Amino acid sequence: MTGRTDTGGTDVQESAAARLAAAREEYAQLARRGRAGRDAASRYSYQMDGVVQSIVAGARDRTSTPFVVCAVGGYGRRALCLHSDVDLLIVFDGTIGAPEERFVNAVLQPLWDLRLELGQHVREIAEFSDPDPTNPEFLLSLFDLRYLAGDEALYDCVANRAAAHIPTMIEPLLTLVSERHAEFNNTLYQLEPDIKQAPGGLRDSAVIAHLRAMAPEAFVSGRDVDLNRVAGAEDFLLRVRSILHVLGGRDVNLLTHELQEKVAEMMGCAGSHPHQRVEALMGEYFLRARAVTRALTSTERALRPRPDVALRRIGKHFEITADGVQFANVERATQQPSLWVEAFRIALEHQCAVSDAALALIEQHAHRCSADDFVATEGDRLQLRRILTPRAGLYERLSEMHDCGLLNRIFPEFAKVHCRVVRDFYHKYTVDEHTLLAIRNVESLLEPASVARRRFSSLLQELHAPELLTLALLFHDVGKWREADHAQESVRLAQSGLDRLELPDDERATVEFLIREHLQMSQVAFRRDAEDPQIAGRFAELVGTEEQLKLLCLMTLADVGAVSPDTLTPWKEDLLWRVYVDAYNRLTLGYGDDLLEGHRAGLSVLIAGRPSDISEQELVSFLEGLPRRYLTTFGLGAVYRHVRLARNIQPDQVHAFLENHDAVWELTLVTLDKPYLFSNVSGVLSYFGMDILRGQAMTTPDGLVLDVFEFADDEGFLKQNVAATSEVCRVLEEVVAGSLDVTSLLKGRERSLLNRHRMRRPPVIHFDNEHSRKFTVLEIVADDAPGLLHRITRVLSAEGCDLHLALIATEGKRAIDVLHVTRTAGKLGDAEQESLAREIERVLEVGD
Amino acid sequence: MKLIKSIVRPHKVDDVREALEKLSIAGMTVTDVRGHGRQKGHTAVYRGKEYSVSLLPKVEIEVVVPDTVVEDVIEAIMAAARTGEIGDGRVFVLPVEQSYNIRTGARETN
Repeated sequence: MTGRTDTGGTDVQESAAARLAAAREEYAQLARRGRAGRDAASRYSYQMDGVVQSIVAGARDRTSTPFVVCAVGGYGRRALCLHSDVDLLIVFDGTIGAPEERFVNAVLQPLWDLRLELGQHVREIAEFSDPDPTNPEFLLSLFDLRYLAGDEALYDCVANRAAAHIPTMIEPLLTLVSERHAEFNNTLYQLEPDIKQAPGGLRDSAVIAHLRAMAPEAFVSGRDVDLNRVAGAEDFLLRVRSILHVLGGRDVNLLTHELQEKVAEMMGCAGSHPHQRVEALMGEYFLRARAVTRALTSTERALRPRPDVALRRIGKHFEITADGVQFANVERATQQPSLWVEAFRIALEHQCAVSDAALALIEQHAHRCSADDFVATEGDRLQLRRILTPRAGLYERLSEMHDCGLLNRIFPEFAKVHCRVVRDFYHKYTVDEHTLLAIRNVESLLEPASVARRRFSSLLQELHAPELLTLALLFHDVGKWREADHAQESVRLAQSGLDRLELPDDERATVEFLIREHLQMSQVAFRRDAEDPQIAGRFAELVGTEEQLKLLCLMTLADVGAVSPDTLTPWKEDLLWRVYVDAYNRLTLGYGDDLLEGHRAGLSVLIAGRPSDISEQELVSFLEGLPRRYLTTFGLGAVYRHVRLARNIQPDQVHAFLENHDAVWELTLVTLDKPYLFSNVSGVLSYFGMDILRGQAMTTPDGLVLDVFEFADDEGFLKQNVAATSEVCRVLEEVVAGSLDVTSLLKGRERSLLNRHRMRRPPVIHFDNEHSRKFTVLEIVADDAPGLLHRITRVLSAEGCDLHLALIATEGKRAIDVLHVTRTAGKLGDAEQESLAREIERVLEVGD
Repeated sequence: MKLIKSIVRPHKVDDVREALEKLSIAGMTVTDVRGHGRQKGHTAVYRGKEYSVSLLPKVEIEVVVPDTVVEDVIEAIMAAARTGEIGDGRVFVLPVEQSYNIRTGARETN
């Protein structure tokens, strides 16, 4: 250490300046070669110590009060970069008066003159007895306290007092981390990352060290993190940061697109073209940042074990501990990849993580598995679908799956966009992370953050198969591995994945539709005149059904929201909702006038593909008068089945077909129209205790009626009785023929059920005479109850109305019925509507 | 100098931007806004329930231009943003006293 010379401070200053310049030059040279990592930062910190110590030595006679000068923060832990702040703590063993202020000035002024950025704290020792709890950052900086100059006994005193507060700082530190991560949307996969602050950055690696120092007892064997990987990551991040400082000439930590090429070159990243070198740089960055993030998560888990989780055995192969789902038999788990997927399903169902040990096992062995290993049986395929169902924790579990390499093994198509960087004006994250964030956006709808979000949330609750939305999102951008029309390419790549899952044709078509058209709704909402009837009509035609509309709407919302935190504004949500409502109304209210016979293209496909037992004439005759919607709702197989059911149908006859799909039954029924028909059919289902979930009814001008109901057999009648299906069909035939009165059958049953299912909210009854040229459209939204549909449609018949078309849906506990009606072959006038509404209200209230 | 502030339909933004670029007006500020003029919103129905959409989504485009091109700019904006229906929006023209370039500190004149 240089002492103060006789010629005053000038020599000290010149000597310090020369020393600093040499240190900086040495550091900058290493940085330009991409080698200024941990060792360089440590050496630079050591040289900075010399500079500070020489200046302190020159200033020490300004005060007689004992003092100590310490390094804190990054400087304290010897992680000083070229233009980092030099954080100093000066503590006096007594009151700070004029002499002490002169001392502080004599230390700081020369350092400022050296153009150093200082972060200085000046304190009296008494302040350490009762530190300011509102300034946790200062207290946390003391974890890296390091002696530089002054009274060593005072240093010990400061260190001891700081250490006394350590156990109380765990939660404030974790809160600071969580707030900082939230600024980055809680993801490390930033296209332009902040090397210091972003999740997985340098600050996180320091936090890991702090947390371990705060509670060493928490890190017993088995819960430890891989500190070598964290050290390796820190070295890499420091090398990148040092280049940013050299290039920027200041404390720059943002690895922007503009700087990535230069940094990649200086780091010696592999690749003959700049973009290849950038890909290599960012690939390594994400790998390193992930190692830090994983270590931090693991550290947090060790510090915050779930208190309510005792060891639990789940089946033969799993147990749940405080760390999450573990394999009960590691050897078996190594051999059986289907158990890996099951571990994630169990974690989702029990709302816990997959343990680090299980993740490490999967990561170690994933490379030897092919995609087919995970879909070998029907059970495997079903399990994958269950995993994709939106629910709390889905994003975290999929991220874990992705991090340990399992997701890419199950869906190798997704691996094509692993850490893929696509530069554009809008996207902030890599393609794979954008995809996972979109899935997180869907998950977040389960607990909507605002009233405006609740409307989208309700759509999610209504979805028939919400896992298809996750599946479509998973594939929607895989085509971005190349620079071209990515939606088409995504559909192409998704084929193999959909083949493996063996989805039914209609579900596969829906997923393909969503992937192919995932940009269409945002185009209409944000870039087109959505109020133009032609544009709105074309969009409604494109989506075809309410289910696809809801899926596409949610996909658009999730996709736009995952571009960057600022992209999905309430303004855009409003635009999206307006397009949704308009298309929904067109699909449900306005479809009655659009008949099939005008659409030759759809007919020619049907005619060309018909089985040999169906003639063209029979087919055309069956379809005559059906709305065009019929073809968007039913696949070819269903249409041909309907044609067969309609064969030789006579008045009072019913041709019905009942089949079971998992927990849902479907009744298809063809008959000829007559008063009270729909009411009687729905009444029969209620009589057998069936809960009608969805349904539609269509009537042709010739009086042919096609009804399709989906219902849940809540009381198990169909499941428990061998002859149940024929019994249902027999009662249907008798009721339609008029030999059995369903209303009296239902009387006793309805009365007891109605007492248990009182309407909690008044029903919404709305008439629309605008959307359809021919029909009055009656919409009823009411609390679901047994026999509801039967009662409503019986009122229609009693009031002399003809029911032509019906769409039945349920959303949780609410029934949503859309009925196209006429009276004496015309629309209903105001008085008729009022009378009908009154009567419907009355029967819904009292149950008739 | 004048500040020309126009409120247009969201899907007309690109058309207006292109029209301004043809006049070599490069700088502009585009903001998503909500509001209503004489259009006063409308009533929408979803699942039988009526709700009023009183504040409609619009886009505000602001440009500062020399006095000499003000008329051309107004004409270009109106031509690009017009559909002929109620709700096409408004154009406001405000005087600008001074303008400074923050980077260079230079004061810009008309």
